[in-house]
Amino acid sequence: MNVSQLVHKFSRCSPLLLSSSYFHSHSIRLQQVLDSSSKSLENENPQDEEFRVFVIPGHNSVQVKRQERKRQKFKVQPPRYLKMPVDQDWTSVWPGQRTFHPAVVPLPLRQGYDPKRVAPSKFANAELMKIPNFLHLTPPAIKKHCNAIQKFCTAWPQGLETEIQMEKHFPITVITNDYCHSSPTIRDVKARIVTVKLKLSCLELDDHARDKFLRLVGQRYNPKTDELIIVTDRCPLRKQNYDYSMYVLTALFHESWTFEEWEKEKSVLDMEYYEWKQHPSYQSYLKIKAFPSNDTSKIEQELDQDPATNKYSKAVSDLFNQGEDPYTIARYKEATLEVLLGQKTA
Amino acid sequence: MFRCNVVNKFVPGLLSTPLKQSDVRGISSSATLLKHVQAARYKTSKRGDKPLTYEMAGPPHTIAHQKSWNSWNTANMLDGLRPSETAVEDEFMRRFLRGTWHNLFLSEIIIKRNHNIIRIAGIVERSIHPRKMYFLIGYTEELLSFWLQCPVKLELQTVESRKDVVFKYI
Repeated sequence: MNVSQLVHKFSRCSPLLLSSSYFHSHSIRLQQVLDSSSKSLENENPQDEEFRVFVIPGHNSVQVKRQERKRQKFKVQPPRYLKMPVDQDWTSVWPGQRTFHPAVVPLPLRQGYDPKRVAPSKFANAELMKIPNFLHLTPPAIKKHCNAIQKFCTAWPQGLETEIQMEKHFPITVITNDYCHSSPTIRDVKARIVTVKLKLSCLELDDHARDKFLRLVGQRYNPKTDELIIVTDRCPLRKQNYDYSMYVLTALFHESWTFEEWEKEKSVLDMEYYEWKQHPSYQSYLKIKAFPSNDTSKIEQELDQDPATNKYSKAVSDLFNQGEDPYTIARYKEATLEVLLGQKTA
Repeated sequence: MFRCNVVNKFVPGLLSTPLKQSDVRGISSSATLLKHVQAARYKTSKRGDKPLTYEMAGPPHTIAHQKSWNSWNTANMLDGLRPSETAVEDEFMRRFLRGTWHNLFLSEIIIKRNHNIIRIAGIVERSIHPRKMYFLIGYTEELLSFWLQCPVKLELQTVESRKDVVFKYI
């Protein structure tokens, strides 16, 4: 093979068909080839001289089939419930909360709805895996749990057996709520709210203090159950709200006992209910009772023990406080007849 | 235009200026429009050999009647906390599992949350070596608990073949 043949060969080569060694510096390489002797050229593989065949898919090529992933089969143990003894300890098989697993639970369960066939069985049944199960809360498990935590419990205090005793010793009820969410946070803003309940009868209040107390608490008092309910939620923490409600309760109690100067200005017209002894009816009653003499002070002391007077007082007060109805009118008639004529009606 | 013409025809003196197309709104009083609901419903195949799982076979209105939810949490209840975060996290977990357990999950991925624990359940095909499966379980639990900053448990059930979960063919 001479040089002219070589040159001819390279001239026919398109740049794309050059091998990698020629690609970067083929002009230098060409120089080297031209300078070198024909000895090295004789060793070339005759196959390299052939052109690469242009491949047209489907015409001159054989499609190589894509190899699919082999579906391997793995041997598995038979379901666990087949091996379990009948009298086994279930709490050690299912100690905690867990998704349903058909190979472990030895029950012939079915879940799902099929209009034509029987409901799907427990194997490969996603519906059974969705619903929460209570297989960890069987009665023996709960008993075990209770026995385990029993050592942390203390005996119920003596003298607190009945509701009445509890109310007597612990008149104030404090209600708070804790919230459990299925989320990574344990905080809930609603946990700050504190409700304090107590019966008004457990507080020592006289007529004036009670009246003032009720005026101060307003709607928070329920007259039907004699219960006072204070809800505090203005502070961000439960402790703060509890402290605030206790402060409010203390302040209310002491404030209702104080008698301010301006409270003396309250006249009969300002009264919200009928008080017999403050009205002219009482004075005229005294005069009638002490008729021959004009001195009413003697009689006034004895009047509190007089049943007829008490009856009359109650009848008059009811007539004004409850309003006129056949019942109060009848009571008023009875009391009046008894006082004036000494008649006793059944 | 038809409605405009009708209005103008019957009440000619009522309108000083002619109605435009956009001024008139039609009221649909027919129930036929609700007939073609397509969401979460599968088309039948020509040969009738398209496999459906129990979950796929029930349209959405059968939730809580014939099938139950795939996500169990308290976020969407009244005054629930973090509803949007929970939804995004669930979607993230589903996508991560679909990719990590490639072509292995045969059921929907069930995500149940108790307190701060997330428990993921599902049915997996037994087509890879058990050793690989154990690796994937540990890998998934480790990564998800690192990202979500709470304990994540994978509670899987394996089945022999894909045909085990097929409820019906349509």
